[in-house]
Amino acid sequence: MVKEIINGINVKELKNLLKEAERNPELVSKISRWTARVRWLGSSFNFKAYVRNHSFVLSEPSELGGPDLGPNAVEYVLSALGACYATGLVLNATKRGIEIRNLEIALEGEIDNILVFLGLSDKGHPGYRRIIVKAYVDADVDEKILKEIWEETVRTSPVGNTLTRHVEVETEIKVIK
Amino acid sequence: MSSSRPRLFPVTVVGSWPRPKWLLEALKKKRERSLSQEEFDAIADDAVLLAVKYQEDAGVDILTDGEQRRDNFYSFIADKVYGIELKSVAEIVDLVPDKSRFESILRSLDVPAYSIRNPVVVSKLKVGSRGIARDEASFLKDHTSRLIKVPLPGPYLLTRSSWVPGVTDKYYSSREELGFEYAKILREEIIALRDLGVFFVQLDEPVLSEVVYGVDQSQQTFMCAALFSRRNPREELEFAVELINNTVKGLSGIKTGVHVCRGNWSRREEILLKGDYVPLMPYLAEMKVDQLVLEFATPRAGDVEAIREYIGDKELGYGVVNPRTDDIESPQEIISKVNKVLKFMDAKKIYLNPDCGFGTFAEAPVNTPKTAFKKLRSIRIAAEELRKIYGEK
Repeated sequence: MVKEIINGINVKELKNLLKEAERNPELVSKISRWTARVRWLGSSFNFKAYVRNHSFVLSEPSELGGPDLGPNAVEYVLSALGACYATGLVLNATKRGIEIRNLEIALEGEIDNILVFLGLSDKGHPGYRRIIVKAYVDADVDEKILKEIWEETVRTSPVGNTLTRHVEVETEIKVIK
Repeated sequence: MSSSRPRLFPVTVVGSWPRPKWLLEALKKKRERSLSQEEFDAIADDAVLLAVKYQEDAGVDILTDGEQRRDNFYSFIADKVYGIELKSVAEIVDLVPDKSRFESILRSLDVPAYSIRNPVVVSKLKVGSRGIARDEASFLKDHTSRLIKVPLPGPYLLTRSSWVPGVTDKYYSSREELGFEYAKILREEIIALRDLGVFFVQLDEPVLSEVVYGVDQSQQTFMCAALFSRRNPREELEFAVELINNTVKGLSGIKTGVHVCRGNWSRREEILLKGDYVPLMPYLAEMKVDQLVLEFATPRAGDVEAIREYIGDKELGYGVVNPRTDDIESPQEIISKVNKVLKFMDAKKIYLNPDCGFGTFAEAPVNTPKTAFKKLRSIRIAAEELRKIYGEK
């Protein structure tokens, strides 16, 4: 007998969602496009991101001359990657009927050359050169299976793929008075 | 002071012994509540008998039960005292003021927050019917004719680890009030242990080394101590002295000691705290205990000369073997170490022991029973030689 709720997720509803995604291009289109808007808060390195009905503050730490009112953008990149892996792991475990007791993902990113961002150098680039991800998981299942799920998670992660593949970023600026 | 004394250069241990696999499984089941206390005790009794046998065969004069019933040296208190609950660090991380320091600790330990469980005071404290270690001591007393030592978590360690602002301050107005409550509880426990025939109670205060050396070292050793803000080291050490002295004030008929080390959770010496006892000694000297149980086998602890000026009338529980290495220290090496201390200490005041336990954390023993046994046997052979030299056969 398959449990109705695994990892706090209704298994039947999840299966229905997967079936629907398989046959409904409109749904696929909807869950393929994401938006965000970031607004400067009018002073210092403080910004607010608006995403659907949510919002959060981004700031810079004192080392970068900011008031440290929240994580900065590169920290959000790490958090987004960690959350994406965590989401994938929960999804893939639930699909297999595996209950997870605990899951924690630790990430560490190393910027190639932060001086480029500060305008003090043109060597290298100001993006992450390397990101180290370590997932800690506790579940009543063989380590081998958890490793399989983890590999599947990494392979299919939207944020992971965004970071590891070439992404076309089109930019434009408009002056609106 | 002690009511009787063992022979010269007594061989003893700091506390823990590596737990067998079947005991670890039982500990896990007990934690998950799929094993009752009685069922667990039946299994743990056998493990204690094994630990006792190893120690007796090695020639230990004052032995412990190997802390076999405990998860580690301090969090077991949650099972023994009402008002303390084990909470995973993940559950209380939102209450931690310095989250970035906490994150660097997790990274250096390479563990997730959910895996570290910390005793937290969640209501007024009341010791349960088994006492903190009375049940352990009773069983041990029934199964060995050797002198018995019981390690207890010290009052400063307990206060430091279990005081969580936002939770504990609903029941104790200050960290000080909680500290003195612990001192009272531990004092009553020591009296009960004395009445059971325990020879030596050792108060574990390893976190004191974190107070002086943890600030500037990224590799934090004591997660329990790092959760909440600290005052400056001098204030912390004075507070620790006050708590210890309240705990042991006026006690007689039992030997008391304080153990301070620099962490014993990894075999990688380079990630454990480093620094000699020099900044601690003025405070340890003020503690009204009979013995200081200190590590000197590891080079991280500096030279034993650090105690010369401060040891006074106290005994030294001399750490002469490193519990974390595979190499067995030779009796001759141990004798040389003792000879160094004999330049300024009376032979009657020197006890010989490893630097720390062999299995401080149940899931992460730092050695095998076989190696631990050989190390203890080496200490015993050294002690026999020393007795020949210093007059006792």
